[in-house]
Amino acid sequence: MSLSLSTVLGKSVATFFKGGVHPAEFKELTCQTPIEQLAAPKQVQLHLQQHIGEAANPVVKKGDVVLRGQLVASAVGSGVPVHASIAGKVANIGRAPHPNSVEGQAIVIEAGENPFQEVEFPEDTAWRELPAADMLSRIREAGIVGLGGAAFPTYRKLTLPAGHKVDTLIINGAECEPYLTSDHRMMLEYPEQMLLGAWLMARVIGVNRCLIGIEDNKQDAAELLERKIGELHSSLAPVKFEVRVARTRYPQGSEKQLIQALTGRNVPARKLPMDVGVVVQNVATAVACHEAIRYKRPLLDRIVTMSGMGLNQPKNLRVPLGTGLATLVAACGGMKDTVVKIVAGGPMMGRTVPTIEIPLIKGNGGFLFLTKAETYLGDFQACVMCARCLEACPLGLEPNRISILVEAGHPLDTAEHGTHECFECGCCSYACPSKRPLVQFIQVAKTAYRRDQRLKEAAHGK
Amino acid sequence: MANSGVGGGPSAGTLHLSYGPHVRSGESTSSIMWQVNLALLPALIWAVGVFGVRPLLITLAAVLGCVAGEQLFCLLQKRRTTLTDGTAVCSGMLLAFTLPPGLSPWMATIGGFLAITLTKGVFGGLGHNIFNVALIGRAMMMASFPVAMTTKWIPPQLGNFFPPDALTTATPLAILKEKGFEAALASFYQGGGEYDYLWRLALGLRPGSIGEVSVLCILLGAAFLLLRGIIKLWIPLSIFAGLGLVSLLSTAPLLHLFSGGVWLGAFFMATDYVTSPSTPKGQIVFGVGIGLLTGLIRLYGGYPEGICYAILLMNIVVPALNDWFRPKRVSTMGVPS
Repeated sequence: MSLSLSTVLGKSVATFFKGGVHPAEFKELTCQTPIEQLAAPKQVQLHLQQHIGEAANPVVKKGDVVLRGQLVASAVGSGVPVHASIAGKVANIGRAPHPNSVEGQAIVIEAGENPFQEVEFPEDTAWRELPAADMLSRIREAGIVGLGGAAFPTYRKLTLPAGHKVDTLIINGAECEPYLTSDHRMMLEYPEQMLLGAWLMARVIGVNRCLIGIEDNKQDAAELLERKIGELHSSLAPVKFEVRVARTRYPQGSEKQLIQALTGRNVPARKLPMDVGVVVQNVATAVACHEAIRYKRPLLDRIVTMSGMGLNQPKNLRVPLGTGLATLVAACGGMKDTVVKIVAGGPMMGRTVPTIEIPLIKGNGGFLFLTKAETYLGDFQACVMCARCLEACPLGLEPNRISILVEAGHPLDTAEHGTHECFECGCCSYACPSKRPLVQFIQVAKTAYRRDQRLKEAAHGK
Repeated sequence: MANSGVGGGPSAGTLHLSYGPHVRSGESTSSIMWQVNLALLPALIWAVGVFGVRPLLITLAAVLGCVAGEQLFCLLQKRRTTLTDGTAVCSGMLLAFTLPPGLSPWMATIGGFLAITLTKGVFGGLGHNIFNVALIGRAMMMASFPVAMTTKWIPPQLGNFFPPDALTTATPLAILKEKGFEAALASFYQGGGEYDYLWRLALGLRPGSIGEVSVLCILLGAAFLLLRGIIKLWIPLSIFAGLGLVSLLSTAPLLHLFSGGVWLGAFFMATDYVTSPSTPKGQIVFGVGIGLLTGLIRLYGGYPEGICYAILLMNIVVPALNDWFRPKRVSTMGVPS
């Protein structure tokens, strides 16, 4: 592996304006091994609620035979549709455990004889010349949501309100959460698809500049993409692609922080990236958009990082959506007795799940099986005002003051310390030597404000 | 059931559910405090080397008082014991470091007990005190045992572990206040070049409180804390800036900067997290205030040494400094308001 220019010159690498932390990466558990295709599961449970907003509406009924890739639930409101991820028979439409909430409505498909039998998706030879509106509707019809974790419908993020002018598309390959390596593997194994997908998204929003943000712990991916950009030069014109290596520092991959690092622009509180002329999309989302526009192929699989010291064989799996987590665990050699926490997502912002009897939804990029040594289960102490949280906060908020006020029963006095701006990255809690659950205190304050707002509205008879 | 359908795995009901982040930094409040205690050891070893074993007894006695006070409050408030977090031990060591090496150890025990209970215990324990615990202990001992606290000095003598009680002297700053610079120098230094006395001050060959005499030993501990990221330089540097400014008005600015308890106070007491401001700007104001007050007390006040009261006075304004000097809000950077 060659040294990067910045390392040789000792030049400081781009990063966000303030704060951040660098937890142990644990990426080595999975970043070296190629993505493995999961064998077809016996059944999938496709949730109708896969993203914020309205749930999709089933268009199949119990007993229907479906092919992989076939529409099974159409979009409602501003949502996106859901497709069968395996071929088989609709066994049920009803309640199923949900990774984010307790339960939700899901379409259950039992695998048929050939679960990977797909609807045909021939290449549209005119894919490069499609009008932006057509590209956008293909992205929507493919059911694509942001695959970096937020799972916001991608077509909506690519729809700019009138009057908004953007000049830059950022492809987010920072993958700043520890353990997770699915985007890293994606960049290494599907670089052309990713670049072409990014090119298409750039066409959709009408920009000629695309920056690819990668943390400097993934130099191999940065170098490969540099090379591919050179090779694909003529197909990528007129969009100018540039790989930007950023410092390995959490939360580098958070949208607003990555924009700071790559463009020096600052997205003010309560504003969106498009307000500073930028749209950010994840690596895997770009690959999915390429498939959607070029082949009209919907989002059927996703890459999932299965990691943690509590898993026997950590790896990245390509998994049909709706597959049960238990099936993934079995494909990783099972988990150890020492697992104390199962986290959906990264260890900083991910949420714990109580069981492995849950189906995969579009936003699930990783599951971590953490042992006691990797996580913290102990108590917390009083704040000693060491100010480490102030240094760690990428927004310049005061988690210490908020937590003390919440503890003292004054959650509604915390706004001036930044309660409403916090995006819950967890840097403060990570840094706190008193192990205070600062993010949780801030969530308590936010909830109190929401409740207060509702009470006030009720009192005014709204 | 967490493991149905898959071999192995945790047994049912053992999985933890919680909000993120699920990983935490390695540093804890108690690991920080024990590192501070470790950083205090060079100064204690030096004190034993030049003042004999009594400083060690005084330190143990002060720690005993603090630990007893801490435990008593844990029992009274029905909290789990906090002795292992190292904060009571730290307060005891710091209190002892501000005491004359010839003091009777039982006085230190009383001082330590009162310091913890009145400064920390009644305010709610760890993190809730307004004033520096050790310095309140010292202030109370100054009021309770004024003679012992101002006369039990021992002239330094390397390797004499059992100096006779009769050998009492005065600190350079006390003599400076009473009789002037020449007399102050003569109290610990005979002959040599014009500035050779600075070496004796840096090394710690002068009468003074247990932990304050050796600038080098204090710096050794402070360097460790700086490297570990436990303390920052804002407060100590601004204290020296403030004190340096006032010292220019005196006849012996260098003697002021290198003696008394200012090094111990600047690196180990004014930097106490709980009783100092949170942001660099607040810390600079806090430090300069301490430096100025220290100098003013020394030059124009009733005491030869001022660092103790200077820190305690500035402790009062910490909540205000935290309100006035907030971290810079990133969301408003470069945004016209």
